[in-house]
Amino acid sequence: MRRRGFLARGTAGIGVAAAGALPYGLARLLAPAAQAEPQSRLRPPGALSDDTAFIEACIGCGLCAEACPPRCIAFTKREGGGDVNTPYVDPRIRGCTLCGKCMEICPTEALTVRRRDAIDMGIAQIDRAACYPWVDKGVCGACATICPLGDKAIDFDFANLYRPVVKHGCVGCGLCVEVCPHPSLPIRIVERSKETVAPHRV
Amino acid sequence: MESRKPRRHSIARHLNKLRWISLCVVFAMLVLLPFVSVYQTYVASHAYDLLSPSEKRLYDVMEALTSPLTDEPAEALDAIKGTTWSGNFFGLKLTDPLAALGQLAASLTVYWPFLLTAMIPIVLTVVFGRFFCGWICPATLVYELNSSLRILLGRAGLRPGGRRFDPRLKFLVLGIGLALSAATGSVLVGAVYPPAIIGREIYYAVALGGFGAGAVFLALTLLFDLLVARRGFCRYLCPGGALYALLGRYRLIRVRRTVEDCNDCAKCNGICEFGLNPMRDGFGQECNNCSACIAICPTDALTFTVNIRDLSDQGPGHLGRGSRSLATDAEPAPERAA
Repeated sequence: MRRRGFLARGTAGIGVAAAGALPYGLARLLAPAAQAEPQSRLRPPGALSDDTAFIEACIGCGLCAEACPPRCIAFTKREGGGDVNTPYVDPRIRGCTLCGKCMEICPTEALTVRRRDAIDMGIAQIDRAACYPWVDKGVCGACATICPLGDKAIDFDFANLYRPVVKHGCVGCGLCVEVCPHPSLPIRIVERSKETVAPHRV
Repeated sequence: MESRKPRRHSIARHLNKLRWISLCVVFAMLVLLPFVSVYQTYVASHAYDLLSPSEKRLYDVMEALTSPLTDEPAEALDAIKGTTWSGNFFGLKLTDPLAALGQLAASLTVYWPFLLTAMIPIVLTVVFGRFFCGWICPATLVYELNSSLRILLGRAGLRPGGRRFDPRLKFLVLGIGLALSAATGSVLVGAVYPPAIIGREIYYAVALGGFGAGAVFLALTLLFDLLVARRGFCRYLCPGGALYALLGRYRLIRVRRTVEDCNDCAKCNGICEFGLNPMRDGFGQECNNCSACIAICPTDALTFTVNIRDLSDQGPGHLGRGSRSLATDAEPAPERAA
């Protein structure tokens, strides 16, 4: 008799707990985990460098995007699991102008105000096997012209004035990726620990 | 007793209209602000001539709306930004207490600049109870309209679900949400909290071209309210409602029944979206001070008072039982007044 009562109570308890967890399961189901290419998912400037800590800190309020003048901040909307509703910058669509409004408006620790040259979204990497001046397919210089940080971040090669060379002052804003005229985008933003010259792919 | 005249035209009766205005204003702002944001990006780009015809129309409309307010839209319109989840109001950052708590649980570190932004809402909740649920929450507007839809469905012969559960279920939802947030390291409560979802989804739809996962979730909660329980999500599942119920348990501002004026017509119980029992002084921590019961009471027996406790059940109203001399018993009770 007692055991039956205990079992019934246990079952009811599990049922209630399941009902309580249902909304979260549903939300997770609607935004399944997905693996995105890292170079198309830069965090906005001033983001916590550890992405796990960034996701912990971000409440998904969207203020950074609302304040962004070039509207370069987008959100993982229907995928990402715990990553859902967190902001990212896809430089292939639109790069960041480093205006700093998102860092100022973010209520949480996720984006904190930093000096312009202390921002770390990544670093640009150039594939010298595709970039027009590097393969002698004409003059370009779009990336070096648009760069908001000037010759601290990207400069021309000494020997050939139109071949771009990324320097370590680059903060990875991605404007160069946005303006690059080459269809395969030989310039891309990678993690800071990586090389600024793409390993040669044949 | 017979000569006691019910107090007519008390101001509290009109608070419900004020509440609807407040809900509509908040919702309208949530729709307007994403357009303002998009307009600002057009202004910042200095390229009116390169906009498509529809973008030009948006630009023109927003310019017409905002030009009386400011000459420098790119800067000055930053004054009001955000949603009810977290917003920026003339330099004052305000955050939903649930966002602060959820973020605290997810990161397990205290970041005071953020937690302090939730202080004003917390203090207001301690004084006014679940006022956010009744007066501000953009989802409340949608859910109350959904409740009206239930009545229309009922008239059409369909039977919307009217189940009742234990309202304490939402405390479990809040607890599980915080535990899951701590375990997974992401602010999960934000993904199941309708006001946060609505603010976010409107921004996504307007500025980023397309709804996210939250829109589907919101649609499902509307179906739940329609098919299973009236205002079921707010009553039984909403983690934010749970938090405000806890914070507002000893709120100062309460609805109170004056038993001498009550005629036991039960209109208040019928209109109460949260299924409470105003006719027998049953308000408790769930009451969101929405004042719908005050507005519908035909004898003005319900008013706001300042007290940290409800009265215990005062029994049947003195105007009921035999002394049915009021004009109200001649007309049948309306099903619902919006």
